[in-house]
Amino acid sequence: MTRQASLAARSHDDRAPEGAARGSAAAHIVFNGLLAVLFVFLFVRAGTYPSSMWEPLGAGTFPRLVLGMLVLFNVMILVQETRHFLSASPLPAKACRSWIWRHRLMFGVLLLFALFVFAVPWLGFRWSSLVFLLVAQILLGTRRWKSLLIACVIALAFSFGIEMLFREVFLISLPRGFLD
Amino acid sequence: MTESILAGADQIFTVATLLTMLLGAIAGIIAAAIPGFTIAMAIILTLPLTFGMPPLQGVATMLAVYVGGYTGGLVSAALLGIPGTPSSVATTFDAFPMARRGEPGRALAIGIWSSFAGALISTVVLIIAAPPLALIAVKLGPWEYFSLIVFAMTIVASVAGKFMLRGLMAGMIGLLIATVGPDPIMGVSRFTFDSYLLGAGLPFLVVLIGIFAVSQLLSEVENADQAKQGEALISGKIVFRPFKVLREILADPVNLIRSSLIGVLVGAVPGAGGSIANLVCYDYAKRGSKTPEKFGTGTPEGIVASESGNSATSGGGLIPMIALGIPGSAVDAILMASLMVHGIGIGPRLIVDHPDLVYGMFMAMAIAAVMVLVICLSSMRLFLGVTKISKSVIVPVVLVLCLIGAFALTQRVADLYLLLGIGIFGYILRKLNYPLAPVVLGVILGPIGESNLRRALMTNEDWTLFFTRPISLILLVLAVLSIAFSIRSRYRQRHVEKTREASS
Repeated sequence: MTRQASLAARSHDDRAPEGAARGSAAAHIVFNGLLAVLFVFLFVRAGTYPSSMWEPLGAGTFPRLVLGMLVLFNVMILVQETRHFLSASPLPAKACRSWIWRHRLMFGVLLLFALFVFAVPWLGFRWSSLVFLLVAQILLGTRRWKSLLIACVIALAFSFGIEMLFREVFLISLPRGFLD
Repeated sequence: MTESILAGADQIFTVATLLTMLLGAIAGIIAAAIPGFTIAMAIILTLPLTFGMPPLQGVATMLAVYVGGYTGGLVSAALLGIPGTPSSVATTFDAFPMARRGEPGRALAIGIWSSFAGALISTVVLIIAAPPLALIAVKLGPWEYFSLIVFAMTIVASVAGKFMLRGLMAGMIGLLIATVGPDPIMGVSRFTFDSYLLGAGLPFLVVLIGIFAVSQLLSEVENADQAKQGEALISGKIVFRPFKVLREILADPVNLIRSSLIGVLVGAVPGAGGSIANLVCYDYAKRGSKTPEKFGTGTPEGIVASESGNSATSGGGLIPMIALGIPGSAVDAILMASLMVHGIGIGPRLIVDHPDLVYGMFMAMAIAAVMVLVICLSSMRLFLGVTKISKSVIVPVVLVLCLIGAFALTQRVADLYLLLGIGIFGYILRKLNYPLAPVVLGVILGPIGESNLRRALMTNEDWTLFFTRPISLILLVLAVLSIAFSIRSRYRQRHVEKTREASS
């Protein structure tokens, strides 16, 4: 049976898991391809690091050893995954968009966390973590009044409360911003 | 000797000392349960509080924090899948799956009893074997250290599971991460690109928290519908029957005792410590098990190996410190600092000049182990309550704690940006089925391996010394056997899987 005939014989539900295999192979090809390029660049860079008259190995030897092996492993994985990609069923239409939509909450939390990290030096730990905790809990499904109230208490406890604990008990200062 | 033991006991068994030890044990457990906080930081914070105490009380309090810390890392490892300390990485492999399938109480109970046993066994070994073990430890030169690192890296093959190539690559990525920043011998900046972010390198703690914690938390919220419905980490009734679990552990004493002894040995090697011991013990337990395929799915053997091994390093680390005046780990260095602050000279004559102090420390270790056991058994139901809290609370709160963990030790805002970047990278690795433990292993072992390799060749350019020095040769042979065993196990497993597929 030809590959096309084999695909045509499968039902739509049947194709979904195999599409996932192709998606995984594609992701590996992109990821490992980018890593291979990065590692080759770093390998060349490591060759410019100085050596020393007191030791046979210089600053760049060990990294080059590691990078050489990494390039090799990446090429092996690329070959493996290219074979999987070519033998797997095609992805369903708009598979990438569908994947992103399914993981929308994860992307939302990640974006929020990124904003939190960048806000800490500006707003200080207390205010940025207060806002982060409140918004994140709402994003993750806190809706009812009682739950919102609990969310506010939790946000206050783990922002202002924890900052006070670290400052007064552990004598560790957390970042302060222009609001502090 | 009897007089010294009694003198030590006289100072330990006072209300003030026992009370400060109890507080120290609680602090150690809580600190280690917070990802990124680490045992070393908890002890550093305890140090100033001990200045006003008599020497033995101060050291006993810090030892209680130390012992508590090795057990506390189990809590977040089992309940959240995030190692609370580097010494709990291997605990996540089996404690977390066991908790996720509805047995968090059993996972914690196994870990608590194993930690207790590891700490007690290490105390006994410490009392009996400190001088001879210390003599072996001092014979280790850079050749032996490098060979030890090569052997430890072969554990990658064991923890990589069925994706061995990806596991090896993950280990190499860890080694590469460790090369960023100042070179350990010449101080040359490597791969920093003149950026202030990378100038100091990638701190090991930030890598651990980002790779494990941030990626795990992001994966918890992948399913939008489940997360928004208020799903908790673990559903179903939670059962905590510690004494039933104790019978289960005692039914297989070999794994427990072996892992504890390995932990003591690894702890006795200066610079090794719990972060390596838990992985080495896990690897040995898997190889010696009748059901190695169950490792990584929630088998009790894996938890016993990791937790008893890491707790045993607490006693092992004191061996070179007491016998030779060389700290076994960063924590032991802080303990030494504490003794020096109290005017006590550290060196090979410590046990001769201050026998009451040394025997008092031995007793403090044993008492701390019992205290940690009692505290954990009585308070674990409180910790288990965490599993019933909705993800909408747990995920943001733990992310905030991770941020604090990444910042608190070095006080650099740049580490927060690194945490974000490494967290995203860790999530990508997780999604593409790359095992994460080898990355952490590489980051821990990379600097030790590189600096010892270069020191060895600086001392003597003859590379055959790696094969002619007996201890180095033994370690390299063990490394080769370890790889061969892993490959053989993997082929066997594939054969079994193929046979199963053919018959179905």
